[in-house]
Amino acid sequence: METTITLAHGAGGKQTSDLIAHVFKKHFSNPEFTADDAAVLTIQEQKLAFTTDGFIVSPWKFPGGNIGKLSICGTVNDLACMGAKPLYLSCAFVIEEGFPLDQLEEIATAMEKTALEAGIKIVAGDTKVAGKGQVDHLFITTTGVGQIMSEAHTSGANARPGDAVIVTGDIGRHGCTILLARNTYGIDAAVTSDCAPLWGAVESMFTTDNNIHVIRDATRGGVGTVLYEIAEQSNVGIRLNRPAIPVDPAVKGVCGMLGLDPMYLACEGRLVVFAPKKTASKLLEALHRNKYAQNAAIIGEVTDKMPGKVIVTTEIGTETMLPPPGGELLPRIC
Amino acid sequence: MEQVPAKNEMASHSPAWNIITSYNGPKVRIMEVCGTHTHEIFRLGIRHILPPAIELISGPGCPVCVTPVSFIDEALLLALEHHVTLCTFGDLVRVPGTKMNLADARSSGANIRIVYTPLDAYLYAKNNPEQQTVFLSVGFETTVPAACLAVKKAYADGLTNFSLLTANKTMKNAYRALKRSANAFLYPGHVNAITGTALCESLTQEGISGVITGFTANELLTALAVILTKTKEGRPFFYNCYPRVVTQDGSKTAQSLIAEIMEPCASEWRGLGIIPQSGLKLQPIYKGFDARLRFHLPALTGRSDPACRCGDVLQGKCKPTDCKIFGNRCRPEHPIGACMVSNEGACSAYYQYGGNL
Amino acid sequence: MCVGLAARVLNIKNGIALVDASGAKREISAELLDELDPGDYVMVHAGIAIAKITNDDKAETDAIMEAL
Repeated sequence: METTITLAHGAGGKQTSDLIAHVFKKHFSNPEFTADDAAVLTIQEQKLAFTTDGFIVSPWKFPGGNIGKLSICGTVNDLACMGAKPLYLSCAFVIEEGFPLDQLEEIATAMEKTALEAGIKIVAGDTKVAGKGQVDHLFITTTGVGQIMSEAHTSGANARPGDAVIVTGDIGRHGCTILLARNTYGIDAAVTSDCAPLWGAVESMFTTDNNIHVIRDATRGGVGTVLYEIAEQSNVGIRLNRPAIPVDPAVKGVCGMLGLDPMYLACEGRLVVFAPKKTASKLLEALHRNKYAQNAAIIGEVTDKMPGKVIVTTEIGTETMLPPPGGELLPRIC
Repeated sequence: MEQVPAKNEMASHSPAWNIITSYNGPKVRIMEVCGTHTHEIFRLGIRHILPPAIELISGPGCPVCVTPVSFIDEALLLALEHHVTLCTFGDLVRVPGTKMNLADARSSGANIRIVYTPLDAYLYAKNNPEQQTVFLSVGFETTVPAACLAVKKAYADGLTNFSLLTANKTMKNAYRALKRSANAFLYPGHVNAITGTALCESLTQEGISGVITGFTANELLTALAVILTKTKEGRPFFYNCYPRVVTQDGSKTAQSLIAEIMEPCASEWRGLGIIPQSGLKLQPIYKGFDARLRFHLPALTGRSDPACRCGDVLQGKCKPTDCKIFGNRCRPEHPIGACMVSNEGACSAYYQYGGNL
Repeated sequence: MCVGLAARVLNIKNGIALVDASGAKREISAELLDELDPGDYVMVHAGIAIAKITNDDKAETDAIMEAL
């Protein structure tokens, strides 16, 4: 077998089946993952959550994870936000010709491990090979199905005045990690991605108290963007307490050098949770027992004032608005 | 992990805070000259505690905001017609030129690299000798030494593929041009770190008052309190509220570096027009590093949108919210005037922080 | 106009200083400053150290208010 991906691996012949056997079957094997054209799933009369997401990340490997782990976490977390236990997942690869097989296997291994941890089964897949230069190493698309717990009714439109706002850990680490991994600005810091599967954290919250109004994962655009989305969807105001927002000092340092705000850096393992205050303090205890949510904190509350806006109480006790999200993050220097 | 100690303890209800919040004297107009001051004042919610008699005006200290349209047009010409690699601070990427901005040019294939320092632009040129590399040199006295250092190194290496498109500016004559716009200036601490205190001190003889100001909550509140206290005395005043960074002489090394590489010239400030001796261009001996000469750029006259009132905003003649296109045609995601582009721009800060906060 | 960041010098060699701002490290030019030692604080702007500083803004503003 070759050591790099060739166009023949995507042509559907023997090399394609070899690739599937040696890489994907080896790592994704389970009774429901057959060679047939579609997976056959048995699901009782249940409410299902169904989601899909494409993953492009450069570099594909970064401190704290790689594109494979990311592609599982992203879909698992989307399901978890709906209160859905992750069940089945499909994945489609678009791989650049010449991509080394051992690296593909590294990615598949990360997917296997993460899926196992999250309790989701990979039951279908597809591989296409694109010519050199047509994709940046590889793209992965995952689609997931989950079973919504009967007690879960989360939606971005459900935030209510009086809710507390929880973030399940320090913010902006993934975005900061990728920024550093690209090495565009010559900055070095011991920051690892927060990329993590969060079904366990969500399950532990529902086991503690199911009076949860909103769960969102703060991916692209970061926590700031998610809060603005929820403020708008629920037509409520959000008031944050800036000193309570957990940010790793090194992330702060990097942001300080480049004039960036960690509120807008991507996370891949952080949820924003809205629940009545009494529930929230119980949820916080449960979250602190989860290995991916040990820095969870209550960062603010929902009000009926200034609907659609996010107001910040600053470190000196004044009030200001959180700047609304504004597209591409550009370092500010001069 | 190394930690810089956090020394920004609660600034609220400090003596400075009390002086500001209890102020009930005559109206005072204070211009923050530096865009980073504008940004921090909004971020810290300082406007929220000001009594109505204190008016803060966001002046022309954001290089992006005062850089004329023609500069972006020149940069676009270099990128799209001369196919150079443009190295730029992120601040400039979304500034509108006459027809497009640098982000649009990048989407249509122009090679545009965002750098943290001009020294990285120089290194890129050194490592890619086949590629003509131009650094978009904007910025005031604080930023100029880094650009000069890059030129000096390129000169020493004999690089023939590195040049600057200069739009650097100096503050001295801008203070004079703006003296009627405000009662006192919050002088830009990091400019003064280079230039020292002498210049601002001497401006009191021309009736211009101000204090050199740092960027933390304590420093901003203290500077405002000093201005309010000194204004009461009725004489032009100067005060250095940032001595931990700003000394009387500033950086002699930086000053002589600037003088070695660059010389003063007249410069166009968006909204303020041409101010004599307020710009910097390369000294004749370094003219080989002037992108305008290397690529024989024609003189361009860019056109800004006629409805835009950035010029009046920069002079404190109107508030961003007084401009007809503010918040509708002109928004941070689609800026028309330069003050909406940079996060430091007065219009952008007003828009992002809700204007009334 | 000029984003500045206070950072601590970790080491210095041939005019290049490695600085640390709460865990973010970068090599910057120290050519504008003489007599810089590890442990000193500098104000960094656009990749160069523009001034040697003290890092305690509170002590300074307290003194200014006291004198006022």
